[in-house]
Amino acid sequence: MSLSCFLRRLLLFCSSSLLLTTFFIASVQAEYVPIRAGSVTAAAPSGKMHRITLRAAALPSGQLGYQMVSHKIQSPDGQTEDVTNRYSDKPTIPGPAIVMTEGDVAEITLENGISNTNQPVSLHVHGVHFDIYSDGTMKMLNGVADEAAFPGKPYTYKWTAAPGTAGTWMYHDHTFGNPMIGAEDRGLFGALIVNPQSGKVPALINGKVEEVNVSDIKREFILWMHETTFWGMEVNNILKGKQVPLWTNPTLGARLGEKVRFHVIGMGTAFHTFHLHGHRWLLPGTANVVDTVNIGPISRDTFVVQAGEGVGTGDWHFHCHVMQHMQAGMMGDFRVVK
Amino acid sequence: MNKLRKLTIAVALSLGTMSLAPAVLAETGASEDDVILSVAGVMPVAALEMTDEPGKWFKDPTDGDSLVVVKPGDAVLIKMTDVNSEHTITSLLWQPGAAKFPVDQDKPSSASVTQTFDKPGLYVFTCKVHPYMFGAVVVDDPNTEGLDLGSEIQLVTGAKVPTTSDVAKKLLRTFFVATTPSLWRDYSKPSWDLKLPSIPLNLGGTVIGLDALNVSMPNRLSNPATPGVGEVWVNAQFETIKGKSKPGSATQVDAEKWTIKKKVKGVDINMNNPHNMWTDRTYKYIYQTEWFDKRLVTFDRETGQIYGALTVGQSPSHVMSRPSDDSLTVAINGEDRVLKLTGGKHPTAQDSVNTGPNSGPHGHHVTHDGKYALTPNALAGSVSIVDLDSGQVSTVPNVGVIPIAIWGDASDKAYVANLLGTPPLLSTLSVIDLKTKQKIKDINLAADYDPISGKTTGEAYGLLPIQTPISPDGKYVVTANTLSATITITDTSTDKVIKSLLCEPGCHGVNFGMKKGGGYYAYVASKFANDLIVIDMDKLEIAGRVLLADTKDGDIVANNGMGGQGVLPLPIADHGWIEQTAKLAGSGQLSAEVEAWLGALTTAQRGIDLPQKVSSLP
Repeated sequence: MSLSCFLRRLLLFCSSSLLLTTFFIASVQAEYVPIRAGSVTAAAPSGKMHRITLRAAALPSGQLGYQMVSHKIQSPDGQTEDVTNRYSDKPTIPGPAIVMTEGDVAEITLENGISNTNQPVSLHVHGVHFDIYSDGTMKMLNGVADEAAFPGKPYTYKWTAAPGTAGTWMYHDHTFGNPMIGAEDRGLFGALIVNPQSGKVPALINGKVEEVNVSDIKREFILWMHETTFWGMEVNNILKGKQVPLWTNPTLGARLGEKVRFHVIGMGTAFHTFHLHGHRWLLPGTANVVDTVNIGPISRDTFVVQAGEGVGTGDWHFHCHVMQHMQAGMMGDFRVVK
Repeated sequence: MNKLRKLTIAVALSLGTMSLAPAVLAETGASEDDVILSVAGVMPVAALEMTDEPGKWFKDPTDGDSLVVVKPGDAVLIKMTDVNSEHTITSLLWQPGAAKFPVDQDKPSSASVTQTFDKPGLYVFTCKVHPYMFGAVVVDDPNTEGLDLGSEIQLVTGAKVPTTSDVAKKLLRTFFVATTPSLWRDYSKPSWDLKLPSIPLNLGGTVIGLDALNVSMPNRLSNPATPGVGEVWVNAQFETIKGKSKPGSATQVDAEKWTIKKKVKGVDINMNNPHNMWTDRTYKYIYQTEWFDKRLVTFDRETGQIYGALTVGQSPSHVMSRPSDDSLTVAINGEDRVLKLTGGKHPTAQDSVNTGPNSGPHGHHVTHDGKYALTPNALAGSVSIVDLDSGQVSTVPNVGVIPIAIWGDASDKAYVANLLGTPPLLSTLSVIDLKTKQKIKDINLAADYDPISGKTTGEAYGLLPIQTPISPDGKYVVTANTLSATITITDTSTDKVIKSLLCEPGCHGVNFGMKKGGGYYAYVASKFANDLIVIDMDKLEIAGRVLLADTKDGDIVANNGMGGQGVLPLPIADHGWIEQTAKLAGSGQLSAEVEAWLGALTTAQRGIDLPQKVSSLP
């Protein structure tokens, strides 16, 4: 037996022929061409640069929230747009929704504005690329640094919305109060929406699967399912990304026929079934049509619907379909008007 | 005490002596009406975060207290933050006619609720699984004098009572005591002085001072003249202990010398709210439930060494063995089942018996022959009779509101304490016939009490009954009543309350132990005090009060000896169990200490012939 066949036997592939030889060759190649996955420096230079300052602060209730202090977007041609006025000037739950496109880079400085504490507060993001110094955790977890803002001592993170990171992701604190967990549970969380470079997303429109232009989406409804409460935020694209804090169990409003996008995200410990009356959508990555999706902690569903399609105007209820969650008031309305 | 500062500020604001801080309103983008069609939901102006921390079960994150004051139209977020088990968020009392009330869920979860309050007055929330977790919202109209508590309160039982009534004041005082550890009755001090400031309370037009709730009484400890036999284990569930974040110990009291032998604290396993205990027939192991957690802990009785902590389910409340084989039964209070486990050093789960949807069994009891587990289903208001061999379950429906503890006698009867009574009765024991599986009657524990004036005209005065064991001779039911701070003694031959004795704020756990020379002691532990009350069952009088605090133990940071709940006297006085241990005398399987205890028992204490009616149940 040749050495290569012996090796292939070890791989349990020796008895087969062409396909397995190909596999073997591929594995040999892998030895010589090591893959450096997730390289942060590989960001597409064509994208925009977001310079963001966020502050973590307490709300009157004693819950915590992130607040947008400044958001400037620099185009590759050097033009800078200040979009800070899109956001509430107070801390909110959920925090500001940060919208990027694949290829963009963000530099986010976090300030610790939580009074009467010297606890570190951080930003840990999901989905996009970042190096180990932007993990938003303490040294005890990441092994390199305390990546958090202390009072009077901000911390800057760098996120790269590399190709393949399109989607809706969570950002949250990972250090406050408990260095293993953080205080997302107390309100320190928000959404990062990364739009695909193609500018198109699949959707069920007039009963058919089609590609919808992201630029045609009029409103984004971000709904967080935290224990038995929906916390909401609207990003209104008609008003150039104006953000409207919707707080708890809100009424979402749209005009009949508008394309709107829902971002339903779970957090905490409970598992939910999100249901929207009168509407259907595509289960992501499939052609399956659903009107209810399972949402667990930090799992999410993003989908586009045409408001009132086939059913018309009305207050279309949305709720978690877990019985004791409904009993605790986990519900709201999707109000479709003419 | 932050709640008092908060109440004072609220009153000052309503009198216009302080400026109002600007309210933060939800932004709705009013200027962009045409385009923004969404309507924001409510933004809570205050929060109550549920925790496992003694007294701070509903905690305002801004100051750590269990009370928030808001204005009409405001919303409060109630959520679970620092809890290791699931709870319900349930209205205990509220303002009659308030919109969107009461708040409740069928079963425990990790719920969060944002509740808007439209009507001024007092609102109290609790958890149906742990019904002394209290959080209050006072909705104060700044334009009225004093702090608005409303003219009436609606209780979850359906009763509506004036806030000027005695029972309403008792509820208010209990709220303040339960949620303020500094107000608990500390028997290491010479007196108990519940001193509240003279904050004006507006009871629907009648203004009284909060100091009307004040109480002052001397603390007198005394050892019973006659020693007991053996020892008494008491769960001091609220002790704050160095090295662990969760509270509680199992405190071992010498029943002959009336001194503390040791406290098993479970620092390494962060033992959380230890609630109730049982043992094996050799008294080698103590089995310990963690009521605000998910585990059953096993430790060595003599050394206190912890052998393990097994995850058994949400909020395991009580544990009892089957005397026949030393196997264990654990009531899973936060779920709908009784778990069966093997006994020994490392119990393992064998089977799980469902007690019905949304039942939440709490203080169960195993019949003396070991055949049945009786469960008071706190959430369903029913009682289940579980055949431990076949797994068959029969249910007695509509027993009462929050049946919390049950005890079966040596025949076919069981007594169940309904924490919130059997409407319209405020406070009841229900008698269950195990043979016909029916409720025979309700005993009105508060028959001699006028809830409006507070006058008592006889012995039947017990409000919010909790543990309710039957004496080993079958003659009496001894019930700890947590709201009235009384112990009622019911004669089982007449089912009448024949005696009412004063206990401590939050009295809770009761069990029987052996008195030297014959007869029994009933031991009573209280949540908001640190003494163990000893009742002589021959005289039906309090024989003594023993301190549960170990004032020399520097590792007890706060609430020393407080939180008295589960009580396990050894030798176990219950028939069925004592005979099994007595049988082992001289066999070499018992320690010298246990042998000596058995040697000190009278023949009657070691076991009497029991009628075998229970075993003939269909």
